[in-house]
This record gives sequence, C-alpha cells and structure tokens, in this order.
Amino acid sequence: MLKVTNLHASVGEKEILRGINLEVKAGEVHAIMGPNGSGKSTLASVLAGNEKFTVTAGEVTFEGKNLLEMSIEDRARMGLFLGFQYPVEIPGVTMANFMKMAVAEQRKFRGEEPLSTSEFLRLMREKSAVVELDSKLTSRAVNEGFSGGEKKKNEIFQMAMLDPKLAILDETDSGLDIDALRIVATGVTKLHTSENATVVITHYQRLLDYIVPDYVHVLYKGRIIHSGDKSLALKLEKEGYDWLINDHKE
Amino acid sequence: MTVNELIQSGALQTFEGGTITADAVSGGTLVSVNPTTLKVRIAEGVAANLLLLHTKPMQTLAEVELAEGSSLSMGDVYLAGSFADVKVSQCASSECRMVVVQLGDANVTYDVALNGKEAASSLHGVFVGADSEHVVFDLTTRHNVSDCRSESLVKGVVSDRAAGEFRGLVYVAQDAQRTDARQTSRNVEIGNAAHIITKPQLEIYADDVKCSHGATVGQIDDEAILYMRQRGLSEPMARRLLLEGFVGDVVSRCEAGGELCAALAAEVESKLEKL
Repeated sequence: MLKVTNLHASVGEKEILRGINLEVKAGEVHAIMGPNGSGKSTLASVLAGNEKFTVTAGEVTFEGKNLLEMSIEDRARMGLFLGFQYPVEIPGVTMANFMKMAVAEQRKFRGEEPLSTSEFLRLMREKSAVVELDSKLTSRAVNEGFSGGEKKKNEIFQMAMLDPKLAILDETDSGLDIDALRIVATGVTKLHTSENATVVITHYQRLLDYIVPDYVHVLYKGRIIHSGDKSLALKLEKEGYDWLINDHKE
Repeated sequence: MTVNELIQSGALQTFEGGTITADAVSGGTLVSVNPTTLKVRIAEGVAANLLLLHTKPMQTLAEVELAEGSSLSMGDVYLAGSFADVKVSQCASSECRMVVVQLGDANVTYDVALNGKEAASSLHGVFVGADSEHVVFDLTTRHNVSDCRSESLVKGVVSDRAAGEFRGLVYVAQDAQRTDARQTSRNVEIGNAAHIITKPQLEIYADDVKCSHGATVGQIDDEAILYMRQRGLSEPMARRLLLEGFVGDVVSRCEAGGELCAALAAEVESKLEKL
C-alpha cells in the first residue's frame, strides 16, 4: 500500500529525514517510536504533503502511485488520513459543514455519487458513536472550545467519516486521560480492517496495549535504526532508547 | 436569488426615501432602496425592522430616531461604492441592533448617540474589499447620559491591493456614569499588498465606566488551510470556508426575514469568492 524508499526531507537548510525506508501493507499496524526530535512528526507531515518540508531525495508510492507528485488534498481524497498532533481550531465553520464538504470532495474524486442529506446525517450519527463523540459537538465550530480529549476524539471521528486506506496518527495519545485514551484507541481498533492500514506515532507503550502493532520501528536522527514486533515497544518502555542509539551517536 | 433580483421581483415593499414614522408594531421589514435622504422615527414602545439597500454608487443621508422604549433592528447593506452618513439617536430604554455589510468601495460614517438612560446599541459589521477597492467604516458611539450600553464588532477582509479602514470612537460624556461600552475590530489581510488600518479610540470623561476595545489584524491561518486540505478540501475552497466562517457570525445576525437574509448571505459569499 505504502512504500517509502530512501526518503530525505528538509526544512530550510536543515535535513530532518535522512533516508527512511518503510513498507506498509494492507491489514497492518505499524508503530513508530523514537526520542524527541528524531523526525517522527516530520515523516507524517511529509507523507501528508505539508509544503513546509522539501523532499530532497527518495521515493514514496501509495497504492502504486507516486505520492510525492500529488497535492495534499489529492492524497487525502485517495485515502491518506493524517490525525494531527495538534488539531486546528476553525472558528465559524461547523463540524457538520466541514465534514459534508470533505466527504463530498472525496466522493467526487472517486467518481461516486454525492450522499443525500439523510444519508450524510446517518453516517455522522453512526460514526460519532465509534468514539463516543457528543453529537452536539458536530454542530459546533471545528475544534473550537473542544477539550484536549474531544479534539483527539474528533480526529478519530473524522477518520471514521472518511474511511481512509492509510491512517497516520501523530501522537494521538498525547494529552489524553486514561478514559479518553481507551475510547480513542478502541475507536481506531474498530476502524481497522484487512483492507486498510494504520501507522501510529507514539511515545508510549500504553497506546499499543489497545492498538496492537505488527511492527514497531525506532526512528532516530531521521533514520529507522531498528525494527521489531510488539515486544520491542515493551523493551523500550523498560530500558529506554540508549541501548539502541549508542551505536548511532555522532 | 440575489438582492437585486429580489428587489425586481416585487416581493418586497420598498420605498426610496423621505420621512417615515413607524408608529405601530409592524410584522414585516421596511426596505428602503437607494435612498438619498431618509428620516425614520420609531414611535414610543414600537418594535420595527428596517433595511437600507444601496445597490448603485450614490450619496445617502439617513437619520433614525428611536423614541423611548422602542426597538429597531436595522440592516445597512452596500453592494456598490457609496458615500453615506447614518445618524442614529436613541431615547431612554430604546434598543437598536444594527447589522452592516459593506461590499465594495463604500465610505460610511455611523454616528450613534445614546441620549436617554438605559438605551442600548449593538452594531455588527463586515466589510470586504477586493482588487483596488478602498472601504471606510467610521463609527462613533456617543454615551451622552448614564446607564447606557453599547457593543460593536466590525470585521474586515481585504485582498489584492485593496485597503480597509476602520475608525471607531467611543465617547463617554462626563455625566455618563455606569456606561458599558465594548468595541472590537478584527481584520484579515490576504496577500502582501492588501492593507488594513484600524483605529479604535476611547474618549472618556466619566469615572465610573466599563469600556473595552480591541483590534487585531492578521493573515489567513495557514495551519487551518493545511488542516482542511488534509481532509480533502481544495485550497480555494478551504480559504473561502475559513473567510465565510470569519464573517459568518456577523451575517447570521440579519433579522430582515428569511429571503432577504439568504440573499444577503449569498452576496457576501460571492464577494468572498472574488478574493
């Protein structure tokens, strides 16, 4: 589904990704861990198409297409979803209106008929239940005045609405209390099928108790320096990163 | 339907100007199209709805008087470049709610005088300038007596080489104790050549007052655009939605009736599309 080969990216003069190789297949869950500043969020942003970063080398294909040639919105419409670490507030734009436009654009891109109003409302109701999102929030402005937990639930709600092929969740667990973490993580698990894939970026093993990864990768200084199965996350939780990064210090 | 189509359809009862006294509670909206001079008096205890529509370039002088205990919902809409003076004077316990929409080269001066105790004024305005338009929104609110309230929120959007000017003065006379006045000016500049000047001013001679003012000038929020594009919206679509959201809380205060408010919202949307 996603194939990243020798990806290099920089912001200004500073190179942040220095040769990433990663392959994600349908039905898989990948976790990306690593110390602060290792390039995890940058990887997510570059895959989503954030123009702040310049890709200087490497290739990325998504469903066989060259992802790097596509605009942010076309990547989204094709089925790439990025759950933001800091979801943005959009005053004056209601969640319902925002989602209506997003779903309509996606369907248009895929050559599907637009949803009728009643079909759309049914979809909203059904999907807000996935993350126990208060249905009142959908009539409020996007993320405005939402608590930290509500913002993250709202990300997963949008993911449910858009039903992506590949979801990249950037520290979706940060700032969540235990209950919200369980709801958000359970929501992600409910949405997982053999047809789609999830990449979770996280600092903590506890998220992976719910979202069980097939692979765990450690990112350090812009490279994946180690990969393993879910037991790697447990080991990292106990022992930290030192045993891995000692070999890579400059 | 656009505002012009609505006027031509004959569905509205309109008048051009002159002197009008609203002396009974009227259900509908009094609509004045392109008035040159207009005097409106809202009689004691009466609640009325007034809408001034300016659809072609012209000069207007409008004077509105609210008698004791009356209330007025007033819309003032400019679809073309115009010069206008709008003077509102309010007697005790009257309430005036104004919604102003300026699309184009309008240069409008509002003078709201609170002359009787416990009078209340609210003004919500939006101006949008494109190309090389120059929009001026000048608002003076005079608290001449004690115990009055005023609130204003004016939002401006300019793009290309357009300029927008907001001048807002809140004047509080020496005897106007317990005045409660709030004034806010919020603006968005699109592009490097667009220009906003905002000048909020307070002139206070009383000592027991609550007054606040604030002004902001910002650019389009790139993070919000990125967020919306990540969900599949194109950049122009995201920008328009953001701007509609920005002015939406002003436009949604329209009280002129369903058809008119919808036409008005459509005018604002089509103007925002041009930015």
